[in-house]
Amino acid sequence: MTSLSETGSGGAARRRGLAARAGLAELAILLALVAIFSVLNPHAFPTLTNLNTILNNAAIPIVIGVGASLVVLTGRIDLSVEGVMGAAGMAFVLLSANSRETADIGWLAYPAALAVGAVLGGTTGAIHALAKVPSFIVSLGMWYVGLGIAAVLFGYEMIPFLGNEAAVAWPTATPLGLPNSFVLALVVVGLGWLIERYTRLGRYAYAIGNNESVARMTGIPVAGFVVAIFAFAGACSALAGVMGSLALGAGSATVGVGMLFLTLAAIVIGGTPLGGGRGGALRTVTGVLILSTLYNGLILVGVDPSIQSGVSGVVLVAAVIAAGWSQRARLRVFK
Amino acid sequence: MIQTGIPRQAPIQLDAGRDGTAPILRLSGLAKSFGPVAAVKPLTLTVGRHEVIGLIGENGAGKSTLLKLLTGVHQPDAGTFELNGRPVRLKGPQDATEHGLGIVHQEQSLFTNLSVAENIVMGAGRKGSASTRGGIYRWRALHREAAEVLARIGSTVSPATIVGDLGFAERQMVEIARTIHVACRTAERQGGAPLVILDEPTSVLEEAETAVLEHEIARLRAIGSVIFVSHRLEEVLRICTRIVVMRHGELVADRPVDGVTEADLFRLMIGKDRHARTREAVPPVTGTPVLRAEGLTRAGAFHDICLDVHPGRITAIVGTFGAGREALVRALFGAEPLDGGRLEVAGRDVVQWSPRRAIRAGLAYLPAERGVESAVGGLSAARNLTMVPQGRSWLLSPAGRRALAEEWFGRLDIRPNLPGQDLARFSGGNQQKVVLAKWLRLKPRVLILDHPLRGLDPGAGATVNACIRAAAAEGAGVLLLADTLEEALDLGHEILVMRDGEISARFDRTTDDPTTLDLLEKMV
Repeated sequence: MTSLSETGSGGAARRRGLAARAGLAELAILLALVAIFSVLNPHAFPTLTNLNTILNNAAIPIVIGVGASLVVLTGRIDLSVEGVMGAAGMAFVLLSANSRETADIGWLAYPAALAVGAVLGGTTGAIHALAKVPSFIVSLGMWYVGLGIAAVLFGYEMIPFLGNEAAVAWPTATPLGLPNSFVLALVVVGLGWLIERYTRLGRYAYAIGNNESVARMTGIPVAGFVVAIFAFAGACSALAGVMGSLALGAGSATVGVGMLFLTLAAIVIGGTPLGGGRGGALRTVTGVLILSTLYNGLILVGVDPSIQSGVSGVVLVAAVIAAGWSQRARLRVFK
Repeated sequence: MIQTGIPRQAPIQLDAGRDGTAPILRLSGLAKSFGPVAAVKPLTLTVGRHEVIGLIGENGAGKSTLLKLLTGVHQPDAGTFELNGRPVRLKGPQDATEHGLGIVHQEQSLFTNLSVAENIVMGAGRKGSASTRGGIYRWRALHREAAEVLARIGSTVSPATIVGDLGFAERQMVEIARTIHVACRTAERQGGAPLVILDEPTSVLEEAETAVLEHEIARLRAIGSVIFVSHRLEEVLRICTRIVVMRHGELVADRPVDGVTEADLFRLMIGKDRHARTREAVPPVTGTPVLRAEGLTRAGAFHDICLDVHPGRITAIVGTFGAGREALVRALFGAEPLDGGRLEVAGRDVVQWSPRRAIRAGLAYLPAERGVESAVGGLSAARNLTMVPQGRSWLLSPAGRRALAEEWFGRLDIRPNLPGQDLARFSGGNQQKVVLAKWLRLKPRVLILDHPLRGLDPGAGATVNACIRAAAAEGAGVLLLADTLEEALDLGHEILVMRDGEISARFDRTTDDPTTLDLLEKMV
């Protein structure tokens, strides 16, 4: 063994590190929330119906979060989530059987929508990496480009309703005991986890997030990987857009409203710092579940919905302070 | 005239020739100039197998340029460069590693969030290793691959450990393993052996960690050869089998380590013994010292330091690497804590010393790490120059700033005369002058200069020296850590020699006229 683990303080530090790496603190918070709301509202909160509501609400942010976490792991950020959801969602609806009868390419509408998302995400990544502009600002622009595309697709005609009743009912159905949307989200999480753990794409995301200049010195083609990661994140947002459209049963440019804050907050609360290099998709699942349990619980307890956004903001800031507490030092540089 | 040069000997070629194998590295006539400055003059060096070569020289002797030539960061202007018998033209450190020549820098280049195994394999570059082929990681194979490399250099670090949990020496082992991983494969494929350059590996290590490193170097020697760059001469003598000394871009000695003493090496590094070049009048000691230290102590760095800095005089401190000079001046400026002793500024005791209080009391400190601690790139030279607030005037009008910048650009002859230009675009010498002007404009009582000429070419060095003399002539007490003994002799009115954290000798130029050798004797 290494000499470090033999010393007491080193061992303690490592144990702390392991606990932090496994995300045990976040899981404990989730369990505590469940326990508190179960006590406060024993009739409505701890029921199977309510569990399914929570999980169904969590599905879309989880799907977005898998891609977004990978972006955040590299130390970058993708703010285009809501725009990509709108554009891909509208593309999906207009390419499926719908009340406007635009076009119906059958199941191909799904991959087509994902492709729209991947292209938008890839474009964000390429502009960021090649023109060397902060991802923050490029994806901020791409958010509105996506919304613009969605608005053009929506046009001035009537709302396009989806024609396929079975598809619309699919997300909330529970043939496996859990809502299909959540099962799909778990599949995406599994995919994200495999990417993070077993592919060069994922491992390099950690490496780039830890020290980008070292990554370049080591010969990692950073730009190429960043573009691929943004494209993957775009595809995840697009899938979320499709899921949102199915849930609405209609096309809407604003299908993703509110998802950006929720997802980013979940990523940070779950334990993936915005600086990158640590965390991942599994952590984000915990983060999303914490927030959706909190929302759901607050409603059931009877808290005014108008207070909720304030509460989630407070939770986010508190989580960030808690996460950074152990690293604070007098001369630490923070921005 | 004292004989200081050790006769140059033909390079030893341990295996080369004897069993028919080519030496690992063969340089002949390798040279590099930057503009008119010859950083490395035509140089010939052969490294055989199983050698540990100590590369030493003063700052600016051309060591780092030579290393950059070896690793392909710079391209040589002339000469041939052979690795394992093949002529090479390297494109960069990664390319060098792939040719069997790895370098481990003082600043570590590991991913602290990843495991030891991943870091080792990541060094295999774009193509990756067998265990990551196709973009998919095979963890078990990867750990096995890393464990093999670690076993080769005899490291006991577990491949699954996260690098961030390791100590500094262990991280260095991982770096070596990473370098060796690629370098060995190439070298062996070509029937040669790897060469590993350790660039000041021990400067950040504790004593126990250094022992670990020495052990690793012995292991490396069994595989290939090592070039060990260090300022710590006793270490060089202990670890190396052969020593190469550079001075003014030339290779002035190349000889086995037997019978060589530290003092010999120092003499080789500084060259000819000589007196101070200048013969101008030394200003007398007048009035109260602007800075007085009595019994200053900091555990592990310096002990019982007493010194006076008088207005108008330059006090130079010389000492070997690790004599505690740097820690002392940083503590005088309040940038590092003190364990004991008294500090007076202009006759007044100081308490709760910090850089902020020190500046208010009239101290100025020019750090050695210009890029990190003094020059702010991305800001204009004028803004850098006016960065420290003066007295109570927190506001400085743009016109005021312009006027100040123009005044100082003129006084220090800073070129190009564009105060509005980003400081990062100025040359090193001119950056240093801007930083110096930043402090000089405050008319400091005490000017502490930590290696003010580091990284400057001789021309720029001369003008910075002139600035330092002018500042002293205007009444500032200057405390100077010089890069070379010549610099200390030429500038200093009083010269303090430090050894092992204590002042071992004091020379006042009004009465003494020490030579470089006199200083040296007190240093080692």
